[in-house]
Amino acid sequence: MCWDALDLWRQGLIMADLPRRIIKETQRLMQEPVPGISAVPDDANARYFHVIVTGPEDSPFEGGLFKLELFLPEDYPMSAPKVRFITKIYHPNIDRLGRICLDILKDKWSPALQIRTVLLSIQALLSAPNPDDPLANDVAELWKINEGEAIRNAKEWTRRYAMDN
Amino acid sequence: MSFLFNLLKGAFLRMLQLIWFGKRKISNSLSIYVKTNTGNTLSIDLDPKWDIRNLKEIVGPQLGISPEDIKIIFAGKELHNSTIIEECDLGQQSILHAIKLPPGKNRLNRKKDTKNLIEESIDEGSEANESGSKPLNETLIDLPLEDSDRHENHSEQEQQQARAHFYVYCSLPCKSVEAGKLRVRCATCGSGAVTVDRDPQCWPDVQQPRRITVHCENHDCQTLLSSLAQKDEGTPQVRYAQFYFKCANHVSLGEKDEAVPLYLIKPNLRNVPCLACTDTRDTVLVFPCEAGHVTCLDCFRDYCVARLRDRQFEFDDNHGYYTLPCPAGCQNSHISEVHHFRLLSPEQYEQYQRFGTEEYVLRAGGLLCPRPDCGMGIIPPDQTDEERSRSPDEDDCRRIQCIGGCGYVFCRRCLQGFHVGECDSQQPTTYSSTSAVSCLSGYAIDPLRASEAKWDEASKKTIQISTKPCPKCRTPTERDGGCMHMVCTRAGCSFQWCWVCQTEWTRDCMGSHWFG
Repeated sequence: MCWDALDLWRQGLIMADLPRRIIKETQRLMQEPVPGISAVPDDANARYFHVIVTGPEDSPFEGGLFKLELFLPEDYPMSAPKVRFITKIYHPNIDRLGRICLDILKDKWSPALQIRTVLLSIQALLSAPNPDDPLANDVAELWKINEGEAIRNAKEWTRRYAMDN
Repeated sequence: MSFLFNLLKGAFLRMLQLIWFGKRKISNSLSIYVKTNTGNTLSIDLDPKWDIRNLKEIVGPQLGISPEDIKIIFAGKELHNSTIIEECDLGQQSILHAIKLPPGKNRLNRKKDTKNLIEESIDEGSEANESGSKPLNETLIDLPLEDSDRHENHSEQEQQQARAHFYVYCSLPCKSVEAGKLRVRCATCGSGAVTVDRDPQCWPDVQQPRRITVHCENHDCQTLLSSLAQKDEGTPQVRYAQFYFKCANHVSLGEKDEAVPLYLIKPNLRNVPCLACTDTRDTVLVFPCEAGHVTCLDCFRDYCVARLRDRQFEFDDNHGYYTLPCPAGCQNSHISEVHHFRLLSPEQYEQYQRFGTEEYVLRAGGLLCPRPDCGMGIIPPDQTDEERSRSPDEDDCRRIQCIGGCGYVFCRRCLQGFHVGECDSQQPTTYSSTSAVSCLSGYAIDPLRASEAKWDEASKKTIQISTKPCPKCRTPTERDGGCMHMVCTRAGCSFQWCWVCQTEWTRDCMGSHWFG
């Protein structure tokens, strides 16, 4: 009981300074989750989300569960959330540290976008890799020269890193 | 004991009364001016509960006119006898116009009235001169931004809800964003004794000249108009309305007391949620994009502050405003009335103005005095080809003096104290008068200590260590995180370069060392 009360109190503290928009978005993500995407706020920091994206069907990432981290900076939604893959992934637009090349996370960000739309765009990026706008040069190179082998690599990485649990 | 209690209770109630009714008592008497078309001005104290007929009865004897022969004009409307004063949006020191009807016209009116006697008797009563209408603030509906977006005929209730609310920036004396009042005068003579031929229905009606015609009661106006027509054949023989705004927060300071309308701020009649915080607020800012994206005023401030901090305001190429587009990135959505940025705090607005000025100077090919706390904008005179050919070593054209500011003499290229020869590792030549004095006085100065004691040396070193110059415009640039892809934030430069290679950003940079 005592711990519950403390927990509630802590939760209250965490939520206290949170803009209503973040609270609303979090509630909606919980109540109406996007198919194939889960985003759960951290217990200690409501601006930090643990994200899991399932690999889209008919892509080399199918069957994989990819962990990401998402952080809402102080002036969100005026500036974009910071998102990074934690699970290793073989993708021309995602580098070895999991950083993502996506315009809406940089100069095309708009406060009209949301956590939900960002994660959907990332899922779409998995379905449609863009080797002409690369982040991982070697991956992009192979994707252009020998797509078959690149897709085999992507499947192999998915099996090895995104399916073990 | 009970006596004391009663006394205390009485005093307490009196105080409560003072607190609660103090305001009402003051507003119970409304001091206004009544101007006539014969050049008189009366100062009158009114009870806001009176109607226009009461007012005519007071004004009439003072002017020596029968009350039936007067019409009262306010804000472009002739006010109906039954109109209650407090419904007219009148403030203290407002000016009403009392016009003496020409006898002929009055008779005509009466004739008309008898014709419509049945209607009249149902409507108001039997008194003559029942012309006039509701005041402008009662009939005016919320103005859409676009001409095409006019309101359809509303039901009474909808019209009540959709009644126009205006917001203005009051530069004096309030210095803040306030509720505003729409007023109108004759565009030809400037007289307020006009009646509009129709209500404005959209913002262009209010903002653009020659959209709505008026009937002007000023006697001199006709002569003015005909003399203008004689001068210029093109001047039309019609009079147009000139709309303007007043601040509703302070007592009117006269006819010249105007305020800037902030037409993007609107009451949220359609209950549109804010684009950023998704709350539905009472007052919103509607961006001038096709979609009409909406933010609440708090989010608008946050948006401005975020963009200001990154110096990411833009110049509207059509008009040259230093402004922002719709946050959703819509085309042609720049805010063209920059007074909307008055929603920012005074400090933030000052920063906005300073950035705007600096960016303008830089865009115009000028530079800013590099001396700390100066920052004067300097636009060096363009050099003729002849001058350039005369000074091939370029020393002269690199030498810039901060005229009108601190007087500092500096090198145009490296923005350090002026020097002869190449920019790198040059000590500034002794231009300052203080160093000249120290040479003359004959003291022995430890050069080491003197070099440490220079006031801008430390920051110069820090800048040298922590920045790299933009390869295009040489602005010292600091990288405080993120990737190696740099975009120069200096106005008109926007060069994309690589922090590692210090050249233009390429695909190779992206592939091999985007993040270092």
